Amino acid sequence: MFVFLFLIMNFQTSLGLFSMFKTATPSLISIIIYLCIVRLNISPSNIILFLSGFLHDIMIGNNLGITSIFLLLLKYFIESILLDRVNKKHQEEWIYFTIIFIFVFSIIFLLNLIINLSVPQLSPVFFHVGVTLILFPIINFGINIFSFVTRLIKS
Amino acid sequence: MVSSKPSRLKSFKGGKNFNFILVVLCLTLVFLGKLDLIAIRNIKGFLSDFLAPITFALNKPVKEIAGVFEDVKSAGSLREENIRLKSEVRKLRVINSKTSSQELELLELRQLLKVLPERKNKIITGRAITAPGGVFANTVLINAGEDYGIKVGQPAISSLGLVGYVVNVSLKTSRILLLIDINSMIPVYLTNSNWPAVVQGQSGKLLKIKFLSSKAEPIEGEAVQTSGHGERLPSGINVGKIVKSFSGKYYVKPTVDFHRLTYVSIITNKNSQAFASKNFQGFAPLQKPESTINLKGLNLSGKRKIESVED
Repeated sequence: MFVFLFLIMNFQTSLGLFSMFKTATPSLISIIIYLCIVRLNISPSNIILFLSGFLHDIMIGNNLGITSIFLLLLKYFIESILLDRVNKKHQEEWIYFTIIFIFVFSIIFLLNLIINLSVPQLSPVFFHVGVTLILFPIINFGINIFSFVTRLIKS
Repeated sequence: MVSSKPSRLKSFKGGKNFNFILVVLCLTLVFLGKLDLIAIRNIKGFLSDFLAPITFALNKPVKEIAGVFEDVKSAGSLREENIRLKSEVRKLRVINSKTSSQELELLELRQLLKVLPERKNKIITGRAITAPGGVFANTVLINAGEDYGIKVGQPAISSLGLVGYVVNVSLKTSRILLLIDINSMIPVYLTNSNWPAVVQGQSGKLLKIKFLSSKAEPIEGEAVQTSGHGERLPSGINVGKIVKSFSGKYYVKPTVDFHRLTYVSIITNKNSQAFASKNFQGFAPLQKPESTINLKGLNLSGKRKIESVED
């Protein structure tokens, strides 16, 4: 699981090489963690999230611990608050993901504001949030097709 | 009794309390990291050295695919690009013929004025290992470190201009804080009017201009270069061009494309120690020419100037 998360995070960072994601890269890791917990019932352990976040911060030169806090809070909110209420309908899943992601991202954004004592340009932040929310149903749809095809082959 | 211990530990590790403890630990780490302690810097450096080859190997296929996409994209506009380049070559030829004659004149004038020769910069070039993909952090890691004489504070450049400066060095790798990062501040001057200012990154595409005199009148498209204030960075490195936003505010657009960085050069004979230089002299902006003629004591209209001003 740790290797998988580390690979996803590296891939997420290297997406910045594409001119499409020049402004900001999407948060693939939050989509993957959400789908793992809600859809596949695989909950990554806290230590794995902490370590992968820590290494990611070192690799991209972020403030140490920021990504770990993001991942831990994301897991906490998915598991504790909203998991029971989520129906398997796609639209509701999307709405719940949006609420959780924006809430956790706002906390991290505020934390960064406090640390840096200056407000960054908001366009990359909005792009990051927007692209992540657009990518969520696409990845979800991809997983649905994949599971449908596997079931079809099995039957 | 003995068998229940691992299960308790497992349930504690998976529990909310443990999650809360880890979040508090991360918060402590964030503030400790901000204090820039030597121990934390060393840990960061060691782990960067360790992870650099793995990240490079993982990034390489994505880099190749991105390159292919860019090639396909540019293939569509080859004809327009060719026409644009041809006209640019024509313009550059004209400029080149003028520059060569001006260069000779400049050398003669330098000799006449006995201007001190500029120090030649020693440059080390490294390959960028990571892409600047973070929303809150804009840094790149290069595969050259202490073993090549790189130190914290040294400027990083590319063929187009200033990239940033070194913020962390380990044995094999160095981390460069890009101009666009929110923590980056560079002393610059506007090349047309010589007004000094400071540009600050905003984690976006544009740089904010700070401490610019209210008397300064920036021109759209005006080049901005490093001023060399504080002797932290050498003067005359290209930073960007002035752009005007919809709100009428002026910003600086960097000349370097930070997302296409492959090689980065570090000027290794510039370090933060030079900051303490006692010979540093202040920087005076270019004064607007006074409305006087060269005849002593007379102004443009031929009237006598007030002597007390000169005294």
